[in-house]
Amino acid sequence: MAARFSVARAARQLTSSATRRQAPLACQWQKASIQQQRLFTVSAQRTQFVKEKQYTEDHEWIEASADGKTFTLGISEYAAKALGDVVYVELPEVDLEVSSGEAIGAVESVKSASDILSPIGGTVTEVNDALQEKPGNLNKDPEGDSWIVKIAVSGEPEGKLMTKEEYTAFTEDA
Amino acid sequence: MAPSRGLTRLIPRPTISNTTTYSRTMSFARRAYSSFAEQLANPANRVQSYISHSRDPFVNLSIEDYILRTSPPDSTVLFLYTNRPCVVIGRNQNPWSEVNLGILQAGTSRGTSAKDTEPPVIGDVDLVRRRSGGGAVFHDEGNLNWSITCPRTEFTRDKHAEMVVRALRKIGIERARVNERHDIVLDQGHEHRPFDPQDTHRTAYTVDEGGPRPLKVSGSAYKLTRGRALHHATTLLASPNLHIIPQYLHSPARKSIQAKGVESISSPVANIGLEVEMFQKRLQEEFSGLYAHQGTSPIMQTVGEQHLEIPEIRKGYNELKTDDWMWSQTPQFNLVFEGPARTIIEINVHHGIIKTLKTKGGSLPDDMLEELQTALVGQKLQNVGDWPQFLQSRIEPWHPDLEVVADRLETLLPVPQCGKP
Repeated sequence: MAARFSVARAARQLTSSATRRQAPLACQWQKASIQQQRLFTVSAQRTQFVKEKQYTEDHEWIEASADGKTFTLGISEYAAKALGDVVYVELPEVDLEVSSGEAIGAVESVKSASDILSPIGGTVTEVNDALQEKPGNLNKDPEGDSWIVKIAVSGEPEGKLMTKEEYTAFTEDA
Repeated sequence: MAPSRGLTRLIPRPTISNTTTYSRTMSFARRAYSSFAEQLANPANRVQSYISHSRDPFVNLSIEDYILRTSPPDSTVLFLYTNRPCVVIGRNQNPWSEVNLGILQAGTSRGTSAKDTEPPVIGDVDLVRRRSGGGAVFHDEGNLNWSITCPRTEFTRDKHAEMVVRALRKIGIERARVNERHDIVLDQGHEHRPFDPQDTHRTAYTVDEGGPRPLKVSGSAYKLTRGRALHHATTLLASPNLHIIPQYLHSPARKSIQAKGVESISSPVANIGLEVEMFQKRLQEEFSGLYAHQGTSPIMQTVGEQHLEIPEIRKGYNELKTDDWMWSQTPQFNLVFEGPARTIIEINVHHGIIKTLKTKGGSLPDDMLEELQTALVGQKLQNVGDWPQFLQSRIEPWHPDLEVVADRLETLLPVPQCGKP
């Protein structure tokens, strides 16, 4: 499971270590705090914006913690219904670094493996281990107790994000 | 099977006398790879059709994954391929409980498993973990794999199985239909009953309850990502190996392993009795017909090992062949077996690493248990190699009582070096 991702990551590191040198630690800290500030300022006019659940076109949802540092990610009710009976949820390992747009796991249902794509970059801080024991719970409460991972963000969400209303309209059009 | 296999075929060895020919071949070859990549990604090509001449399952699955990831968002792509003998397990399956690993390599006699079972005569059989879901299947040259990549919004699990059933019926296979598991079966009913020829889910020989069980001839699996859906399936046309397939798909460890993830559902299978090339053409025609409304006739091309030159295909190919993907991708499981002194040993494995070793009952001395735990907990299975050798090198002095543990592990939890020289 996470092996796949760590393999991919190792491969990336191998191929791009020359071009993507890590910034010194102090710099990274600074960068992170600037980004976090921006995350707040963007939403300053609409405090609701960050805390409100947002949806991707790939049917994931994200929701920020109160301090805006961590996002919880899951799959939408629409997706859970469309996938059918979930028999296995492939979770990443804690501490996995993920870039936005990357797969952080997969859900298997009725012979289908569906990638779970993260719209945000960061570090996985928590995975919902209960889904290992009871993958079927993902069908019952995909937007509540059956969240998939929590990610400490290192940047702003990328790609198109929709509010609940926009997402509902999007799935009705599809 | 070495990763260089594709490359050695690809690049002709230059000799002094034919350098001109060599450079011409090379530039031609380079054009061929870039033309495939460009053609595939061109948004104007909404309907595309490819046949692979490679028999390497790793090459074919990597080309297929590349098609899924790079074809235009609203395109539909047919890809046909045939693999040399191999066992292909689903993304979230346990190879130890699904596959008889001891007989994959012909002529090898590692551990006790080879002594118990004579390897069948078909030679080496590759073990592959695919990226899609579903159960374990056996492939050989008598099995045609078809795959369709399409927009996720167009995707249903039945749509293209129905397309294949229509193709089969047009060449006289009138017992073919799609079943409730989205597989294709041949009905075995004796009585011919009235039916709707347009209904791909019922035939004149469908028996509702009781009666002879339909035989499976095609099994499906799916992969969904980024607005795209891949449906791929086997089609048993003329496999010479039907009688030995069950040997490969029955593991001696099945009863000893409690696994998370996906268990295979075994079904009685049959050959349809068609020639592979003829059926490839029929499928291409049926596919073209189904998507004729999307414009001009489909782009058609042959692909193969030369396309490992495309970096993304090479990367996918290498990933599929890593030990991490093959063994450590396995969902968490427990292995339970009887060790020395009537002690039940329970080993928990997660991410391919032994996390715990516990005992129940019996009278295994504490110091032996501790030695076993020290030797095994934290060990990555894929790095073990030969179990008896491994344990003897870790536990000194060696207790002959522990031989039964080494033997059981070699039978139940072998890590054959599939594809490694």
